[in-house]
Amino acid sequence: MKIRGKAFAVGCAAAVLLTSLSFTGASATVGSKKAFPTKPVTLTMWWWGDQEAPGAKLWVDDTVKAYKKKRPNVTIKTVLQTTDGLVPAFAAAAAAKSGPDLQYFWGGIYAQQPGWDGQIAPVSDYIPAAELKHYINASTELSFKGKIWTAPWYVNPSFPVLARTDVLSKYNLEVPMTWKDLLNVCDVLSAEGVPALAGGVKDGWFGGWLYSIIGGQSVSSSKDVVAAVVGTQKFTDAKHADWWTRLQETQEHKCWNSDINSLELYQAQQLWKDGKAAMTVVAGPDAPNFANSVGASKVVVMAMPKWSNGKFAGKMGSTSQTIGITQWSKNKEVAADFLMFSHEKAQLNNWFKRTGSMPADDRFDLNSVKDPVKKALFQSALPGAPYLENFIPAQLDTDAVFTNVQLVLAGTKTGKAAAADMQAVMERLRKTDRNLVKNFTAWSK
Amino acid sequence: MIKPAPTEYRFTVPRNLGAVFGRLRTPGPILWILPAALCVTLIFGYSIVDLVQQSFKYRGDWVGFENFSLVLTDPLFRIAIFHNFLLLFTVPILAVMSFICAVLLFETRKGMKFYRSAVFLPYILPIPVIGVVFGQLLQLNGALNSALRAMGFDSLALDWLGDPKQALWTMSGIIIWKEVGFGTILILARLISLPLETLEAARIDGAGFFRLHFQVTLPQLRPVILFYVINEAIVMVSWVFNYVYVMTNGQGGPGNATVVSELYIYRSAFQNKAPELAATSALLLLLATSVFIIGFFRIQRNINKGVFDE
Repeated sequence: MKIRGKAFAVGCAAAVLLTSLSFTGASATVGSKKAFPTKPVTLTMWWWGDQEAPGAKLWVDDTVKAYKKKRPNVTIKTVLQTTDGLVPAFAAAAAAKSGPDLQYFWGGIYAQQPGWDGQIAPVSDYIPAAELKHYINASTELSFKGKIWTAPWYVNPSFPVLARTDVLSKYNLEVPMTWKDLLNVCDVLSAEGVPALAGGVKDGWFGGWLYSIIGGQSVSSSKDVVAAVVGTQKFTDAKHADWWTRLQETQEHKCWNSDINSLELYQAQQLWKDGKAAMTVVAGPDAPNFANSVGASKVVVMAMPKWSNGKFAGKMGSTSQTIGITQWSKNKEVAADFLMFSHEKAQLNNWFKRTGSMPADDRFDLNSVKDPVKKALFQSALPGAPYLENFIPAQLDTDAVFTNVQLVLAGTKTGKAAAADMQAVMERLRKTDRNLVKNFTAWSK
Repeated sequence: MIKPAPTEYRFTVPRNLGAVFGRLRTPGPILWILPAALCVTLIFGYSIVDLVQQSFKYRGDWVGFENFSLVLTDPLFRIAIFHNFLLLFTVPILAVMSFICAVLLFETRKGMKFYRSAVFLPYILPIPVIGVVFGQLLQLNGALNSALRAMGFDSLALDWLGDPKQALWTMSGIIIWKEVGFGTILILARLISLPLETLEAARIDGAGFFRLHFQVTLPQLRPVILFYVINEAIVMVSWVFNYVYVMTNGQGGPGNATVVSELYIYRSAFQNKAPELAATSALLLLLATSVFIIGFFRIQRNINKGVFDE
């Protein structure tokens, strides 16, 4: 008994010691209280974004140079990733527990999942809350059990529809603001051999955009979507399924370019630039560039025409693209310091200067934006509708949304069948990913 | 009269390792092959053991056959396997086309080098290049359809890669275009090495072009054609990932029209972050491929036995 008692006492002492040590460690890290290293440090950053925010590469180069001036002992190597390679490359790095110190993530589930899988360290462990509160969409998309996984970088108003008034007026048409108007525009233009909307779904991504901008009109919050993910609602319920029928209507009314299934997203947008289509959908950060390429006076930037009376009908979604710190990074404090540096006023202004898009920081002075297109776009993202694609499992997106959008637009599947398939894929996912329900439930709280 | 090859140089597949060692009189060959054999055993052996282990686990915990049940009941996995099965139909087409091309090249007197290079060129082109070129060429409004429309064949201008009903067959066509060069060169090499006396004797006896090649040449090419057939069957089951990935942006679309088992494995491992399901499906694919490899060795043994017994 004595031995047992001693062992118990030693155990308690060890537990108390460990607990106190862990608390000391935590308090030492948050707010970067630790002395900044003076030895040479090299950080590697894998990033994406020049594709949707042209000029981002210049900003990255500028910021790395400016940081080198501030911290001469820190070298940052940057690697621009491809769209198709961004997720798989990081998955391979995470499996090997070796790779970048700083990694780019799209918002929502794309940042949550690596956190749940233990691949990234919460930035809130290294960046003070007083600083993080300025980062746009951090609390709505990136928080989990009181922590923030990644640091928002720039805002993506998701996704604006660009209408060319010169093309529409050629056929005596006005910019459609409602679904009925849109289908009417489609009927008139298709009879003339002109697509009302230019799009490309060969690479799948556009499917996710369509889900968010059409499907977002019938839900009341992102929690509705999470409820369908965890099984308390269904993707065949009207609020989640009606958008598939709307999508089918666009196919029946020949709204799209006939080669939508054989073109990639960015290839198809060129049709709009060339004046061969009246409208298209583009990435928010790139919208001003698109508008300027054909003459901003000829372009109306708007949300997807309304088809419901839902809370978010006629509103644009808002998501932030983000940067996270990998779990295996040996220099997490330095990585966090760089992230905070990138949110300093000079860098925020330079981001806008280089890309014309909005940095994800509410300290950025919107009054400095003079271009009316950009200003309207930025204001629409504050506060925007939830960007639905970021609240479903990535696999549901690729296996159900991407694929069924392709089939509905090819005319080989009905909207109803697509909704049923989405529900079936979700039910299966709940079986294959045994932690999915637990994680999504915790996220929605 | 053709002399039979000396017994010690005949290539026969041994029935067991004992036979191999029994035939070797000095340890020299074993020592030479040992480093490579060790490398291969370590690399592949470790991977296979790890693969088997992973397929019975979930996040490190033992789950028995649960992963197998999940993979085998996944409609997408079944679709992927079915597509691999459909791609097997390209193998006989490849064999016939390769044989015809090889014979035509063999019979060509002028410009044989040029034609041979032209046929072999697709085989040495990198698959990403082929993917990009055909991806552009076969768009609904791409170069091929524009040419067809210009010639008045509007009904033939299909959405080759964008229509789910045609995408897999289009993909098959591209694979045939690339792989036929390999078969042609393989068969042609064997054809050139055949004793000319037999062919000349057949010609003197009055055999025409078709009779000569179908009744005299073809039987002698049987081993190399069978090798090619088995090799291509393995390609269709487990080596078409590159084509699908490059031409569909890693999606296997439109819909799931071109998803194959390798893409399923890749997506499970790297897109869906389900390494256990990827390991399970990879193990199933390995077993399926093994059937072909075993079949190949059995067939080759029988052929060699037949050839050398004649």
